[in-house]
Amino acid sequence: MNFVLVGLNHRTAPVEVRERLSIPESRLGAATAALVQGEGTLEGLILSTCNRVEVVVNARDEVDADPLLRNFLTHFYQCDLGPYEGYLYWHRQQDAVRHLFRVAASLDSMLVGEPQILGQMKRAYSVAREMGTLNGLLNEVVTHAFAVARKVRRETAIGTAAVSVSYAAVELAKKIFGNLAGKTIFVIGAGKMSELAAKHLLSSGASAIFVSNRTYDRAVELAQAFHGTAIRFEQLPEYVGKADIVISSTGAPHFVVRKEQVERMLAARRNRPMFFVDIAVPRDIDPAVNELDNAFLYDIDDLERVVDANKKEREREAVYAEEIVQQEVQKMMRRLASRDVVPTIVALEERLDLIRQGEVERHRGRLSNLTPEQREALEALTRGIVNKILHGPLTELKRAAGHPEHGILVQLIRKIFGVAD
Amino acid sequence: MYSGLLWLALALYALGIGLTFPSVVRRRASLPPATLGVLGLGLLLHAVALGAEGAEIHRLPLTDVRSALSFFSFLATLAFFFVYLRYRITALGIFMLPLVFVLTLISALRPDRPFASPAFRGGWLLTHIASIFLGYTAFLLTFVAAIMYLIQERELKSKKPRAFYYRLPSLDVCDELYSRSLVFGLPFLSLGILTGFVWASRTWKGPWELDPKILASLITWLVYLILFSTRLSGTWRGRRSAYLAVFGFVAIMVTFLGISLWSGQHGYVPQLGSLP
Repeated sequence: MNFVLVGLNHRTAPVEVRERLSIPESRLGAATAALVQGEGTLEGLILSTCNRVEVVVNARDEVDADPLLRNFLTHFYQCDLGPYEGYLYWHRQQDAVRHLFRVAASLDSMLVGEPQILGQMKRAYSVAREMGTLNGLLNEVVTHAFAVARKVRRETAIGTAAVSVSYAAVELAKKIFGNLAGKTIFVIGAGKMSELAAKHLLSSGASAIFVSNRTYDRAVELAQAFHGTAIRFEQLPEYVGKADIVISSTGAPHFVVRKEQVERMLAARRNRPMFFVDIAVPRDIDPAVNELDNAFLYDIDDLERVVDANKKEREREAVYAEEIVQQEVQKMMRRLASRDVVPTIVALEERLDLIRQGEVERHRGRLSNLTPEQREALEALTRGIVNKILHGPLTELKRAAGHPEHGILVQLIRKIFGVAD
Repeated sequence: MYSGLLWLALALYALGIGLTFPSVVRRRASLPPATLGVLGLGLLLHAVALGAEGAEIHRLPLTDVRSALSFFSFLATLAFFFVYLRYRITALGIFMLPLVFVLTLISALRPDRPFASPAFRGGWLLTHIASIFLGYTAFLLTFVAAIMYLIQERELKSKKPRAFYYRLPSLDVCDELYSRSLVFGLPFLSLGILTGFVWASRTWKGPWELDPKILASLITWLVYLILFSTRLSGTWRGRRSAYLAVFGFVAIMVTFLGISLWSGQHGYVPQLGSLP
């Protein structure tokens, strides 16, 4: 096993460099194939997204893979790597494994815990599999990286808190209403953000959307898009109180919803809670509304603050995730060692010699009157048998050492001779 | 024998509470089976302890403060299991079980012998005590729901999410637990008080209406009646009713524990002279 990974990401390289060095999906197959063309490399994988490029190979043990990778990059980009050197990071062996695990688990992402990277990595994986460049130890590492990502997602809350404003609005609505099924949304004023928030709310189960806008036609348009009802702006006060969640983003210079109005609405609703999301600047909803019991008002700054707090919460969860990754890296390294040829040969020899000695010991009683010469001959005899038996498997192991599939053979031989992992 | 079992149950409760914390801190969606197993075993031993005591005195072991406390905390743990299985609130144990633990501890620390007063035979009194305790257990849940509601509401109003925001259930779940336990508890408390009156008017002579515990019970009942009707009509909801629910439960604890020390008939002490 000889893993080397070279890459750059959103932290090490500015966007111009990432653009220049990113590998479009259409060329990914060819690039991956080119990566393992040489004699020295057994396996290879390339992951390229807008935030990162990772190129990883499993080279022959005796080969120095760095020049191979450099060579590949220079050829592929058809430029001198010199100016980009400072943006690249290099990881070898255990560090490369850890890096792959961290990337898959979204610990290295711009938004820690966002799951997209796992999908992107899976696509890169299937390209490499198609190209036949992933069939040995590196394959095992990458598939295990997916398992680590799943484990992190299962055992930590790293992906749960919303990290965008519109999702934060949904998350808050769920903290107030629990289940959003059957909850009514009222959208005042059109706008990209309010539409997005409404869309997220609808896909979380909310329904019956009312839309109101100064220009009634636009309201009708929006209502159609959301399967809702358009309301004339003048009728707004009658209808707002019927909604559980109110999203407002008008260009009005004054408050569209005032505290006294909300007070009346709440009384009419028998104090069932209301959630107001005010995305407009200047604000549409009187901030004093938040002072009312059972009314919750968040403006755009409040939502940003929730997003910030959520990001911090994700970072706290990331600490647990890092622990999981660390454990998994160690487990992986132990498993890889058991797939390796040299430790297997040693273990095999030890195991058979132990059996030989045990058997000689067992018959010591009956062999007690042997002369030293005879005893020596017995030792030589038993050793000879063991060596003859070992000859076949050891030759096969040594021959397999250069092949990517050797892990399977190593496993098989270990199993046949009862050498534990 | 039963005090040994009670101590064992107590140790298991403590362990269960301890095991709940990491699940809450790590924001697990549910408690691991080990935690529930430990608490369940504690509950089982608690039940056996109560059963053994009941067998010894041939009636429900409710005849003194010690055993009444033990019985109440048993019901509360049982209620914890019901609510947990229904709502899967990981943090519920943190709010509910420490109180259960303290009550059981007080009970285990007071090794009075249970006494067998002839007054404790008879259906009226038994119904009185059992209903009151069922009501109390329901209101403990109302109290816990109110506390969780108040914390979560504060997090939402403050707009600065902190640890509890991520770990407590939604306001809606708190409110549901709150109103359901209220609806469950009030009939039992009412029945308990009524049967108490019937029993008292039949057996006690003198101005029993002025017994401090009876007066305190009436006040408690009034508090919950107000909560019930305002919640039903929707005039009060959320924070205000949550505060009142907290007050109501404090009143219960005062009635249950405090007044017992001064009250003649409810003193849970064998003052046989005051009993006809």
